[in-house]
Amino acid sequence: MRDVTDNEIGGFGITEAEDLLFVTDVVLVKQKVTCVTISFEDESVADFFEDQVEAGRQPEQFARLWLHTHPGDSPEPSGTDESTFARVFGSCDWAIMFIVAQNGSTFARLRFNAGPGGEVKIPVCVDYSYEFDAADFEVWKEQYKANVIEDHTFSLTGRSKKDSKKQEDELEMFGGNVFEETSVFSSHDLLGEIDSMEPMEREIFMEELSVRSDFWDESEVIYE
Amino acid sequence: MRILFINNLGAGFADYVSIEEGTTIEKFFKSKMQGEQTADYLIRVNRQPIPREYVLKDGDRITITPVKIEGAAC
Repeated sequence: MRDVTDNEIGGFGITEAEDLLFVTDVVLVKQKVTCVTISFEDESVADFFEDQVEAGRQPEQFARLWLHTHPGDSPEPSGTDESTFARVFGSCDWAIMFIVAQNGSTFARLRFNAGPGGEVKIPVCVDYSYEFDAADFEVWKEQYKANVIEDHTFSLTGRSKKDSKKQEDELEMFGGNVFEETSVFSSHDLLGEIDSMEPMEREIFMEELSVRSDFWDESEVIYE
Repeated sequence: MRILFINNLGAGFADYVSIEEGTTIEKFFKSKMQGEQTADYLIRVNRQPIPREYVLKDGDRITITPVKIEGAAC
């Protein structure tokens, strides 16, 4: 999921009852994503809870590991991530915020309320000592298509040719034109788009612009 | 009267609980989610949104889940 899009993707980790830190599956809920933001649909989160309970799991097995990707190279949580983690998971006995960046680097922090409470970064690894089924790309594709709504608000110039080739390769795996080319904005469009953003959205966007040169295809001249 | 209650507060909960006849969903929330604000949760009964004065019935399934789970990369 991390590699199939330049947008953020998120979900919940599923664990077995006897080992709550051993993730055996990742489930997406319906979400709206951009290259710098992600937002779960509230109704879908409720559906997810009910589906998991019907499957015989307890909340500690499906609702304590909040996972999402960062399209850049930094897995460090943002202020929004921290705020959500505190507000949504702060009243749980324990919870983990896990982030994987595009370059494979990870961040995982366990927060717990037992005793005086506290939080600690924890290591992340793939445990190959356990057997697991082969990756089922079709299932991944269906899960992606069923849950992820891409918002191209922040994708001003589309992607570079290199990235476009990467997209084509990814489409081989996922099928369907889920990575529609985005058009080049005119300066008027751009200003209008920025003007229509929410304040927080605008701030994130401007910060992202200042640090991500990959937003801009240097071979293109946008303002003439 | 028993209802199934699902939520993620504290240790998390997904089990049947006994309640008194005539208990409204608002009263139930206040008793089970002490200190929490209804605005921070999506409250559903049998997968449907309900008014605060809804009177719980035997066998109802109440789901109280957090809202606005969102992240950002920077």
